[in-house]
Amino acid sequence: MTFPTGSGRDCARAWEAMPWVLQQSAPQEQSDWLMEHLAGCESCRAEYEQQSRLRRAVSLPSDMAIDANVGLKRLLARLDAPEPQVAPLRARSSGWLTRALVAAVLVQALGIGALGMKLWSDGDGAMYHTLSQETASPAPPGAIHVVPDATMKLADWNALLRTLQLQVVGGPNDVGAYTVIPLHSASTSQATLQQLRATRGIRLAEPVTDAP
Amino acid sequence: MNEADIDADATDRMLLQRMAAGDRTALSVLYRGYHGRLCRFLSRLTRRPDIIEEVINDCFWIAWQKADNFHGDSRVSTWIMGIAYRCGLKALRQHGDEPVEDDAIPDDRTPAHDPGEDRELRDWLGKGMDRLSADQRVVVELVYGVGHSLDDVAVIMQCPVGTVKARLFHARVKLRNVLPALAGESRATKESVS
Repeated sequence: MTFPTGSGRDCARAWEAMPWVLQQSAPQEQSDWLMEHLAGCESCRAEYEQQSRLRRAVSLPSDMAIDANVGLKRLLARLDAPEPQVAPLRARSSGWLTRALVAAVLVQALGIGALGMKLWSDGDGAMYHTLSQETASPAPPGAIHVVPDATMKLADWNALLRTLQLQVVGGPNDVGAYTVIPLHSASTSQATLQQLRATRGIRLAEPVTDAP
Repeated sequence: MNEADIDADATDRMLLQRMAAGDRTALSVLYRGYHGRLCRFLSRLTRRPDIIEEVINDCFWIAWQKADNFHGDSRVSTWIMGIAYRCGLKALRQHGDEPVEDDAIPDDRTPAHDPGEDRELRDWLGKGMDRLSADQRVVVELVYGVGHSLDDVAVIMQCPVGTVKARLFHARVKLRNVLPALAGESRATKESVS
């Protein structure tokens, strides 16, 4: 630092001592030394005069007309309800940002929720199935899978169904199997199965079971 | 610290102890005792009376809450001024540190008893302070106005003593270059600051 007063070492020392001598916090010997120096140094004397004036000016009462009683009344009211009084101070500047962030989070949550619902509902109906996969609805009681030969005439097929009192309820599936059930009884008799298997033109007749 | 300061600090400590016990009368006494110097101190940061009042109340709200945490590491006045300084900076960040125009300041802000010499001195100081940064104005106020030591100011502003010393030095150089001309003196110094 270059001291603005005289270039002497004593002037630098005087410059540093002035504020503390002025506020009467400097040791007595420092004050005495400064007074001696000022007596012989016009530059430092002028500086000290200005510093004194600065101190008088800074020490003047505030020019801001602020009523202490009004402020104290507000403070005491605030002590009775401290929390609600603190929040608005922050809310004034950051309230809009907080609200925007909350809105963004809500929108994201709604979007994630909607996507989750869609994924969950799609999970029940897969777009593919395997040959071993069970059909969506359980097989009716007494159902039989029947695979007629490709050369079997429709009339013979219909006649067979009438004779055995069967009704087609499904098929043909990918392997040409029809699902038939008895018209009048809830269960398939072994005799019906044997008749089907013995019929010419029937390649396969097997009862449908829920378990593989 | 002279004897008057020691007595004042002892009184302040007693008031803080009573505040810690929930004594609102002690709070009122301390509030009134510090209101004037806090107004002047904060007026070096902002010229908005509404912010100053808000900061003073924030400061004493914190002092009320933390009165029992004061362990006496510093003077009570240093502790309170430090709280006020931090509250002031926070308020300026929230409200913006642009001072209101002089036209917006009510005419009655200048005390009615302000004699001509004081008014002239106040104007002289105001024009000098305008050239300083906020931190420099605060240091000038704390040293010349309140009478704090460099160590106290470092505690209040939460910075090293060397930083306070540098701020005070630069503030003094700037004021020295500006104020004599404003005071009608012919001396014009052009010292360099390194």
